[in-house]
Amino acid sequence: MDLEKLEAILASQSHEFDVVVRIAKEEDIAVARQMAKKLAQEMGFSLADTTKVATAVSELARNIYRYAQQGRIMLRKKEEGKSGPSMEIIAADQGPGIPDVELVLTKGYTTYERSLGIGLSGVKRLMDSFAIYSAPGRGTVVVAEKRRRRF
Amino acid sequence: MKEAPSNPEQVVPVLQIADFLLVPIQIDLDDKTVGLLQEQLLKEIARTRAKAIILDVRMVEVIDSYISYTLSETAAMARLMGCRTILCGIRPPVALTLAQMGIALGELSIARDLEHALVLAQAP
Ligand SMILES: Nc1ncnc2c1ncn2[C@@H]1O[C@H](COP(=O)(O)OP(=O)(O)O)[C@@H](O)[C@H]1O
Ligand SMILES: [Mg+2]
Repeated sequence: MDLEKLEAILASQSHEFDVVVRIAKEEDIAVARQMAKKLAQEMGFSLADTTKVATAVSELARNIYRYAQQGRIMLRKKEEGKSGPSMEIIAADQGPGIPDVELVLTKGYTTYERSLGIGLSGVKRLMDSFAIYSAPGRGTVVVAEKRRRRF
Repeated sequence: MKEAPSNPEQVVPVLQIADFLLVPIQIDLDDKTVGLLQEQLLKEIARTRAKAIILDVRMVEVIDSYISYTLSETAAMARLMGCRTILCGIRPPVALTLAQMGIALGELSIARDLEHALVLAQAP
């Protein structure tokens, strides 16, 4: 069930990940994006995919800072699977939650006064897989994954 | 070509060439810097009454939706001040990412490279 998944991810421990960045200040957004870029480079991602990963993390970290004030960006390498290695990106916060997940995924939807409303829908397009688990009053978790491609 | 006088609020160098401005952006655009950049550019446009401003983003590795929003907003404000904003040097991976996210940067004129930007800046 989604609520169980949400609670499980919110309770996850830092040592389960390769990189954990706490988001609490505006500067942390840039830190998270730099760390994501570094991990993607270490994993041998192409320049294009490294840029996509860094951009996606920038969007997710900013959403945490703006809408939940604080939370965590957690990154990990996944080696298993026949599709080869991939990077898992998790953004988790215990903020207000999202009442209608479908609605916020609409391109252009925003509750912020100076924004494009293109963050979450953009991340979904940039990644190979994408899911949101959210409950009002409990928080929001976004789980995304990017496979390494060689070309 | 002369460099505008520097002051502590400057986040980027601004070069004045005839009646336009050339701004090489060579820093990581974190959220605070993006805000300061907008402020600085609008001040320089008002002060110099430039008719065009070229933003060279060759060194910028990530342009996300907030940076895009602020650049577009800056261009809209500049346009109301009679100044055209030209973006040049978007890196291929950045272009790919923007296109995939569906960000068009419609408020800005996009140049292939600096040479093209200079031509656009001098167009009537
Ligand atoms: N972590 C979050 N917690 C609560 N609400 C969120 C969160 N992330 C996004 N949202 C909501 O989803 C909307 C769309 O987000 P997004 O696509 O990133 O666009 P933008 O940030 O430009 O509004 C936001 O305006 C906000 O209302
Ligand atoms: Mg956003």
